[in-house]
Amino acid sequence: MTALAPPGEPRRIAYLYLLPGLVIFGAFVLAPLAHSAWLSLFSWDGVTPGAWTGLDNYQAIVSDPRLRAAFLHAFVLVGFYAVLPIAIGLLLAAAMARTRVRGLALFRTVLFLPQVIALVVVAVMWRMIYAPDGGLINEGLRAIGLGGLAQNWLGSFSLALPSVGLIGTWVMYGLAMVLFTAGVQKISPSLYDAARMDGAGPVREFFAVTLPGLRNEIAVALTLTTIQALRSFDLVYITTGGGPGDSTSVPAFEVYNRAFRGGDVGAASAIGVCIAALIFVLTLLINRIAEREAAR
Amino acid sequence: MIDRREQALTYLLLGVFSLIALVPIAGILLTALQAPGEVASFGAFNGVHLENFATAWDEGNFSQYLRSSVIVGVSVVVLSTLLSILAGYAFGMMRFRGDQALFYLFLLGLMVPLESTVVPLYYDLRDLGLTDTYAALIFPQVGVSVAFGTFWMRAFFRSVPRSLVEAARLDGSSSWSTLWRVVLPVGRPAVLTMMVLVFMWTWNEFLLALVMVSDESLRTAPLGLAFFSGRNTTDFALLAAGSVIVATPVVVLYVFLQRHFIRGMLSGAVKG
Amino acid sequence: MASVSFESVSKRFDAVEAVRELTLAAADGEFLVLVGPSGSGKTTALRMLAGLESVSEGEIRIGERVVNRVAPRARDIAMVFQDYALYPQMTVYDNLAFALRRRKTPKERIDEQVRRAAAALELDELLERKPGQLSGGQQQRVALGRALVRDPQVFLMDEPLSNLDAKLRVQTRGEIKRLQKEIGTTTVYVTHDQVEAMTMGDRIAVMNHGRLEQVGTPAELYDEPANVFVAGFVGSPGMSFVPAAALGLDLGVPGETIVGVRPEHARTWAEGDSLLGPLDGQAQYVEALGRETFIGVRHDDETRLVLCVEGRSAVQPGDSVTYGLVREGLRFFDPDSGHARRRVRSRPC
Repeated sequence: MTALAPPGEPRRIAYLYLLPGLVIFGAFVLAPLAHSAWLSLFSWDGVTPGAWTGLDNYQAIVSDPRLRAAFLHAFVLVGFYAVLPIAIGLLLAAAMARTRVRGLALFRTVLFLPQVIALVVVAVMWRMIYAPDGGLINEGLRAIGLGGLAQNWLGSFSLALPSVGLIGTWVMYGLAMVLFTAGVQKISPSLYDAARMDGAGPVREFFAVTLPGLRNEIAVALTLTTIQALRSFDLVYITTGGGPGDSTSVPAFEVYNRAFRGGDVGAASAIGVCIAALIFVLTLLINRIAEREAAR
Repeated sequence: MIDRREQALTYLLLGVFSLIALVPIAGILLTALQAPGEVASFGAFNGVHLENFATAWDEGNFSQYLRSSVIVGVSVVVLSTLLSILAGYAFGMMRFRGDQALFYLFLLGLMVPLESTVVPLYYDLRDLGLTDTYAALIFPQVGVSVAFGTFWMRAFFRSVPRSLVEAARLDGSSSWSTLWRVVLPVGRPAVLTMMVLVFMWTWNEFLLALVMVSDESLRTAPLGLAFFSGRNTTDFALLAAGSVIVATPVVVLYVFLQRHFIRGMLSGAVKG
Repeated sequence: MASVSFESVSKRFDAVEAVRELTLAAADGEFLVLVGPSGSGKTTALRMLAGLESVSEGEIRIGERVVNRVAPRARDIAMVFQDYALYPQMTVYDNLAFALRRRKTPKERIDEQVRRAAAALELDELLERKPGQLSGGQQQRVALGRALVRDPQVFLMDEPLSNLDAKLRVQTRGEIKRLQKEIGTTTVYVTHDQVEAMTMGDRIAVMNHGRLEQVGTPAELYDEPANVFVAGFVGSPGMSFVPAAALGLDLGVPGETIVGVRPEHARTWAEGDSLLGPLDGQAQYVEALGRETFIGVRHDDETRLVLCVEGRSAVQPGDSVTYGLVREGLRFFDPDSGHARRRVRSRPC
């Protein structure tokens, strides 16, 4: 601040206003993050003194197949939590582009409902839906004579992860739909008219007008859903506990597992730091791309 | 031109996906109402039995779990709202050295999930003897909520016309009295949205409670449900009742204040 | 009551100089108007006087006191903002009482002063309403009332009428002026509207690009403009400017000198009217306003003039017009600096 402040304008008192929030934020968010980074450089069981291991824990993330799998699974979940819901949302946006919808508020309320329910509740709910006996899906299949298709959804090595992923899709698609319906209504109809006059069909219209017009909404949706996918813990803990085997292990679950069940706090911290780093990088990337597209 | 086909398709999509969103929820309500002790079946309707709720409430200890969640939720909301208003006011209405850098710090904090800090938090609080206390649940969540809240309130304060603040300054109002008497009264909706979102996130928080709390009397609702479901894997009706109890407070709040929920989360809220 | 003065005051925003060495004073009880186009620095000058902007150089005094570093609340001033800046969640009463409450004035005094100000501005019926429930004109009066209640040494007004419709503006203009005369408080008033300035100000300060062009009474600015800018800014329709050589008249000034003619000093030719001329031109447009008619005339490719004719005129666009100029009405300006030249008087008035 090189300019002189007008007399009586609050300047230094700002620090006083900031102080309480900054203190708690620093003490309970920033300091632990730094501490996490510190702990990740050690091998520690939480009880006896730890040993310095440098970046070994991080190397393990790349070399240990189980940790690699966990991060891989996280990216698979990104497909279910982010890509699929956004695709669904865009489908709706494409259909809705030039129509007027009555009662949109009601639809919005219903569609958004899964977002406000605790994930533990969602997990319990869906565990019952996926239950091999008495579950909604299997009983439904049996009721229409397709009993042969009934599976142990959450207990199958190959189906468990997609099953969990679909729960995430169920939670997230409402967010995307609500975001995009709001965004699509802000697109000026004259853009569509111009496209029509240029002879564009519905597909062209979508790519030329709707998609660019929803750029910001897509960025927000992508950010929120991707972060949820990378942090995913509650769903996995309740539905599968990482199993069967390691087929649904995810980074956040590994953090919990290794720190509090496996006695390897250092490894857990490293994973935690990686989660934060991934979120940071992806958020930055998404916003950078959105800005670049906007500049075009 | 409104294309009939596009309109029909739109309603179809909206209808189908709304249905898909509702079916599990309706299912769990129905399941909770099933006669206790029957063969487990999700979503089957066989009469209205409210005993499951009573059982969950008493024997399942959900009354205790709710109480815990209320204590933690209200505390986090009150504290983080106050701190966010103060910090957001400074960032939104004052110019001072380092304001850019400090704000980026808060922005950074927005992206740090609890999953990344819960481990050192546990060990630090354990060393202080603070695990298994409400404080262990409250303060970390206040920390995270303040990051969001500051960002949110700053956006509001920046939208207030400068002339209003200048008029107050000329009238002899200090920054404190300007905040509470002049500016904040205009921002009631924004503050309400923030409170509602923070309450929801706090109520729904699971991992923190799982790590910090081993004493059953302190369990928050989601944690209580997790243990409950571990003990009652086959009693769907009971499980469903417990689930409904846990989810209801936030859902009720949502039904009455949906505009706030939706508006808040759509404004790029990066916590979720 | 107090005088106000700017002494060589400058204000820089990063690289931009918003106000350049402004030296200006308002006497105790005077109604001084700062007028100029947008970007002229008039609002910045007012805000420095209010203490809402810091002063880069120079001194500002209220009374005898230098107030550069004095907080607004301690300057004993009150300001009316362009958007009124009324406290939206408070009643009109609370809006008026706000400043007095900040000063811990006793409740009875507050009530007395609020009601007195409300009465003066006919706000008595509206005291329990909120700003959102008031019309634009009523809001404006509340803004005035808020300033009145403070009983300050100086009133500052930042284009308070620009958000009102034309009729209300004219009416309120008169009311403000009348009120100020009654109370006698020094007032510094900013506007971009020169008609407002001319009708309201005891003295007017014309500003342009951060510089003070001229300060004087309305008559002085109108009759003796110091430069081309002031001459063209004041008056509506404005003064026409023509190079002396283009007129081909014996004016006693070098050919490049700029001649300024107000419409009322240029009229259609009539013998024996002791006009300078005759000059020939082509009518470009005709504005018949009932009481008078303005005719835009094209003298040659470079030169245009506006004539003023009483009542109606038969002239149509496209017609040839013969016209003459009133010698005493001409003003001369240096073509390079734009400054006024001393007039060559051919005979005493």
